[in-house]
Amino acid sequence: MIQETQLRERCREALELTKKHGADDVEIYAEASTAISTEIEKQDLQMSSSRQETMIGIRAIVDHRIGFASTNALEDLEATCTDAVKLAKASPSNEHNVLPEPRPVEALSELFDPQAEAFSVSDAVRHAIQIIELAEKKDPRLVLGNGEFSVDMTGRCLVTSRGIDLFERNSLFLYNALATAKDGDVVSNMAFGFDAVHSVDAIDIQAIVDKACDDALGSLGATSGESFAGPVLLAPQAVQAVLAGFLSFQLNGKNVLRGSSRWGKMLGNAVAHPSLTVVDDGRLSGGAMSGAFDREGAPRQRFVLIDKGEAQGLMHNTFTAHAMGTTSTGHASGSARALPGIGPSNFMILPGDQSKADLVAGMKQGLLVNRFAGSSNPISGDFSGVAKAAYLIKDGKIDRPVTGTLIAGNAFEMVKTLSGISSETERVFTAILPYIRLEGVSVTAE
Amino acid sequence: MQELLARIAAQSSGWIELRYQGRSTKQIAVRNGELEESSSKRIQGIGIRALVDGVFGFASTTDLTEGGILKAIEAAQGAARTSASAKKHRIEDLATASFGVGSFPVPTQDPLDAHPLEEKLALVLRIDNLIRSGSASIVSSTTSYGEIQDEKYIVTTDGAKAHLFTSIPEFRVMAVAEKDGNQCFGNLSNAVTGGWSDLFADRSPEEMVDYAVAMAVEQLSAPHPAGGTATVILDPGLVGVLSHEAIGHTVEADIVLGGAITAEKMNEKVASELITMIDSPHTEYSPFATGILPVDDEGVEGRKTTLIENGILRSYLHNRETAAHFGVEPTGNARAFEYSDAPIIRMRNTYIEPGKASLEEMIGGVKDGYYMCGLGFGGQADSNAEFMFGVREARRIVDGKIGELVRGATISGNAFDVLMSVDAVGDDFKWDLGAGSCGKGQAAKVDAGGPHLRCKATIGGRQ
Repeated sequence: MIQETQLRERCREALELTKKHGADDVEIYAEASTAISTEIEKQDLQMSSSRQETMIGIRAIVDHRIGFASTNALEDLEATCTDAVKLAKASPSNEHNVLPEPRPVEALSELFDPQAEAFSVSDAVRHAIQIIELAEKKDPRLVLGNGEFSVDMTGRCLVTSRGIDLFERNSLFLYNALATAKDGDVVSNMAFGFDAVHSVDAIDIQAIVDKACDDALGSLGATSGESFAGPVLLAPQAVQAVLAGFLSFQLNGKNVLRGSSRWGKMLGNAVAHPSLTVVDDGRLSGGAMSGAFDREGAPRQRFVLIDKGEAQGLMHNTFTAHAMGTTSTGHASGSARALPGIGPSNFMILPGDQSKADLVAGMKQGLLVNRFAGSSNPISGDFSGVAKAAYLIKDGKIDRPVTGTLIAGNAFEMVKTLSGISSETERVFTAILPYIRLEGVSVTAE
Repeated sequence: MQELLARIAAQSSGWIELRYQGRSTKQIAVRNGELEESSSKRIQGIGIRALVDGVFGFASTTDLTEGGILKAIEAAQGAARTSASAKKHRIEDLATASFGVGSFPVPTQDPLDAHPLEEKLALVLRIDNLIRSGSASIVSSTTSYGEIQDEKYIVTTDGAKAHLFTSIPEFRVMAVAEKDGNQCFGNLSNAVTGGWSDLFADRSPEEMVDYAVAMAVEQLSAPHPAGGTATVILDPGLVGVLSHEAIGHTVEADIVLGGAITAEKMNEKVASELITMIDSPHTEYSPFATGILPVDDEGVEGRKTTLIENGILRSYLHNRETAAHFGVEPTGNARAFEYSDAPIIRMRNTYIEPGKASLEEMIGGVKDGYYMCGLGFGGQADSNAEFMFGVREARRIVDGKIGELVRGATISGNAFDVLMSVDAVGDDFKWDLGAGSCGKGQAAKVDAGGPHLRCKATIGGRQ
């Protein structure tokens, strides 16, 4: 059990020590974690492990100069406090180096499942065996190359000289399966299933095994595709690789300040097709990244980034908000090992009104792409790479699996001209994403 | 600490491996003259592996008391025991090895801690300003300094008892030039195992700036290359990337067992007879390589390992488990990045042995081709040795002379096909992986390099 009282006391102690050594303002962020995991390799159990660590990160401000020091060696906490002050005193000053004032934070109740406390290595092993057995039962042609079942229990505590004093407990069960199908000499693409849930009762092994195995089996027997410029239907995992990083980069306050975001100056203007609405919800029920407060103690919220194609909001932490004359949006991200960055929590592209089947039916010649392995440059918007587990679509029907097919395009243009968003969504790591049909994508068969 | 670990190991039942790691890191980053980060980190803990009933279990703890360590050993043994009943394939044995015993200090006359933070910060700020004053076309600069210092104790119940130190400083510069809304960047990084002055022994920070600025500005007006197969001369940086990324991973025994292209090729010809490739725990030919590893994280003494000898595949890279599986001696390639990571098979310093040709002769023999230097933006390689790397600097070679710069070049192909096509190996040598880390679920500091090579490869231009 992670002791709240103990962790708070260590944080308050570190706060006083850092002030004693000369800091004007201090932020102490601590994470105490225990983790249990069992790995799977080639359809067999691999190593099981358990880990525990308490990490404390100290941000000291002296005359608007910042120093950051972190440690897990708590018996030597004072040395880390003096390091932070020393680093601050040696640094140049910046008027935007400030700590946030306390704001009301409403606790989230469903982040921690008390049943997780009793979870042991044997429970992790039992779930890992279930992943293997479900895959084996499904089809003899399947090979479960890799997988893992783990539980992380974390208590995080934030105490600042401005009066923020917060604690939150979290349990997260993470499990994944990576499957390939083999039929004689024919080998499918790798396919991936993943989920992250906060409670024991929400664990659904069958769903991720089905996802990985069905995708692997479906792509068996893929042959060379066709070259054309036209519609490409990206499945949620491909949407994540091609578009999610681009969208959150463009609406990140830090990138706007650096001048590397084109959308920074376009708030209130159309940047995408009117069917596209993008939301980051830091309090999403069941969301893997949900929490009551961000890395700096600002309240997490449901925040609209793009509303019906219009750029609506930029994600800020305290630094970028101060520099741009606004308040933090609760997007300070990162661990106790580093200074706060900026990032989304539960990133969502809201569902559209057409089913996946309708989107397929609307393509005369097109490509369905389940995964994407390549690069997507968030500054230029250019993306290019290999379409994995891809299917050729002919006359509104899935024709056959194809291999060795490259797709390329530009995200700035294609989010404007997209022609459909599915009503179905799937969780991809921490994002919740639909199928999206892009137009005019360059498709090249090798 | 070492005596405590040795005593605990002596009293333990069954095989265990105890690894204490204390790490201190510093990071300074400046962008356009503004300090983005000045931070330090100190972590310490013990990672424990236990082998019970032919199954490994792992536990890590930050509780360094005897009681805390014993509790973690129980956790590791419990984890192993719990999964043993359901595991299909047990480890029959761990290969015996020559174990590391004694102390292994960092060979430097100029330790990092002898230089105050203010000196390092002042250098980063000065160099960042220098980048922006390097040319009127420069619109953005980034400069960073980082250092990792490790102390480790590795003790196993079968004989390892080593005390190791590492010190790796690194320095990076990047310049972005702009013309008519079109941006190009130039970058360079240095990293060494050693001290402060060792970091700049090969090139000074000012030389790094000159290179990055010139590269950013020159590319603004450079044409894209024509795609297709071409004769190319690879510099030691790209030879290193090819050796590590496209070949090296395919000879890591765990990847081999997972179905890499090398699985059926032992003792077969996989490269030109001019090629001899090594993975070494030492820093041959030139000092300061960042993958020096006298003793690995299983306590095994590092051995210089010949992967390819005159074109013939001769060895994989092993830990004790895979060495036993293949019936060979461990090569000392088991590595863990932090105390809370379990050791897995990783490379160290991977290189191609120098040959006999001078660079002038090699260039002189090319009628129409490219001279390619360093890893640029992006890259990937698969366990079938197919690779695609962005190139940092690519120049035409026409009638035996180096000519104009081209931008956005990529090089791709199958790494073994590329090595098979080698017709000249340079007489020079350089470690040149820069400040990068290798990623395989966890990070590792590695180095790579070699001489110049002349070969055939596929050149890609603009997508």
